[in-house]
Amino acid sequence: MDTTGNNNQVMVDLTRVTRTFPPDVQALVDVSLQVNRGELLFLTGMSGAGKTTLLRLISGIEKPTKGYVEVSGMDLSKISRARLQKLRRLIGVAYQDFKLLPERTVAQNIAVSMEVAYRSRLFIRKQTRDLLAQLHIVDKHNTRADKLSRGEQQRVALARAVANKPDLILADEPTGNLDAESTELVMDLFHRCNESGTTILIATHDSSIYNRPDSRIVTLDCGRIVATKQDADKDTSEPVQYGPETLFTDCLKLLDKDTSEPVQYEPDGEES
Amino acid sequence: MNFLFAVFSQAGRNLLQTWRTQILSLMTITLSVLIFSFFYLVYTNALQAGEQLGDDLRLIVYLDEEAVPALQEQYREKILKFDRVERIEFISSLQAFNRFKDQLDEDQDILADIPQDFLPPSIEVYPVRSLDALSRIKRFSDYLQTLPGVIKVQYGREWVERFYTFIELLRIVVILSGSLLVLTTTFMMAHSIRLTLFTRQKELELLHLVGASNSYIRMPFFLEGGLLGLFGSLAGIAALYLLFNWTQLRFAGSALLGMFSFNFFPLPVIAMIIAMAIILCACGSFSSTRKILSR
Ligand SMILES: Nc1ncnc2c1ncn2[C@@H]1O[C@H](COP(=O)(O)OP(=O)(O)O)[C@@H](O)[C@H]1O
Ligand SMILES: [Mg+2]
Repeated sequence: MDTTGNNNQVMVDLTRVTRTFPPDVQALVDVSLQVNRGELLFLTGMSGAGKTTLLRLISGIEKPTKGYVEVSGMDLSKISRARLQKLRRLIGVAYQDFKLLPERTVAQNIAVSMEVAYRSRLFIRKQTRDLLAQLHIVDKHNTRADKLSRGEQQRVALARAVANKPDLILADEPTGNLDAESTELVMDLFHRCNESGTTILIATHDSSIYNRPDSRIVTLDCGRIVATKQDADKDTSEPVQYGPETLFTDCLKLLDKDTSEPVQYEPDGEES
Repeated sequence: MNFLFAVFSQAGRNLLQTWRTQILSLMTITLSVLIFSFFYLVYTNALQAGEQLGDDLRLIVYLDEEAVPALQEQYREKILKFDRVERIEFISSLQAFNRFKDQLDEDQDILADIPQDFLPPSIEVYPVRSLDALSRIKRFSDYLQTLPGVIKVQYGREWVERFYTFIELLRIVVILSGSLLVLTTTFMMAHSIRLTLFTRQKELELLHLVGASNSYIRMPFFLEGGLLGLFGSLAGIAALYLLFNWTQLRFAGSALLGMFSFNFFPLPVIAMIIAMAIILCACGSFSSTRKILSR
């Protein structure tokens, strides 16, 4: 892994990031993570592990209590409001709760991310149609967002994240409400984006989507990175072991342990 | 191009979403502009009338004896020391007598036995025809009274003072209605922005998340305020114009209207009022949106 901090190569660089919420919730503890440009990375861990918080830190919605967050070579704590806004236009985020505008149509919802970047009408229309086709919801073009099923809303949120051709895509549980077939569509879309050079971070506990051999998988537990599974032909930064006895990691037990000790890797399927 | 399109479509969308409040704002602005421009119109016309009446405005300073040219020069100097005047005329006893005789016309013979110097000589001072001069006329008269050889100073005191208080009152009313205009427009703007923030909370939040620039978020509000100001003031001025024409027709031929000529605002003044309303509303709405940026 690149540890020299070469900013041209690194898209996201977290250095010893800690985020606590009052009264004393430790959402992230001393997390260091580098994501290279063009990488497709899975972030796993059970509910409450800190996946959403990590993504929010990267998009600058949340600020770290300690540590540094750098995106595209810029320290988020130091950049101006205007630079942050510009950066956000280069990051497509699919939120866990979708954040769709209920009384707007599907097309209008998708257009938002492109409108704030002052894209042309033509571009917006074309991108919207293309994405709806790829996600098999063309017929929902003019449907109000609140009239869609959860699965359809999820795909619209995803289309909005991808529409402006961002450099970085952050997807929070993008397949949480989808059936196997739709999940396949969504993953195809991600892979197409990734192939054209987009860096993608996917927070998920859906083992079916990250049981592919070709991507890095980072596992969080109680706010700490407990395991990293690397692509087979690259080094693993931390040893990964699979063990049947750690199906569910007990937070309290983990906190008592010395955390430098390698922790066994086991994807959880807790979140519903 | 894309920027303008984005601004216009945002503003249009917002107007559609909150048209009820927008109409309320529009009516408030119209009414405020109407009230302000009504008083302003009365004021400007009163000023004009004052200048027309100024022809009759003069101070007559009665002297106890005829002023020889050297003395006339002294008087002239002393009068000018107090204020600029339009004209100073010295009237001898004889001139006064002749004027009187002319006024009597057919009854001139009653003057036959009366000596020609029975009327005192006088100085007629015509002050500059301006409101400032009007406001100083009492002091002017008091000053003239102190000059040597002056018996009495006469002027249309009551009329001048009444007119002057009327103009002063109007001036205050104009200032008050102007402040009312400023207050109501900024208040209405702040109110409608608050409502907009409430109805569009989710959307504004999302705009922050997807990295909308400050101008993307604020320009539509600026545009919206400007449009409200434009249409509000246009409607207000139009209403005043109708009212003006109606009064002209209604009171046509009446004595008062016969005496003075009433005029509507000239175009530059109309343009000024409209521009003022636009700037007020646009800035009011723009500055109220500072709140949404500091979140
Ligand atoms: N705004 C917040 N205020 C308080 N606690 C929070 C807040 N956001 C997240 N947390 C807490 O931080 C922990 C991590 O949450 P989250 O990042 O949402 O986990 P995940 O997405 O992996 O399920 C949880 O214990 C959650 O309750
Ligand atoms: Mg989450």
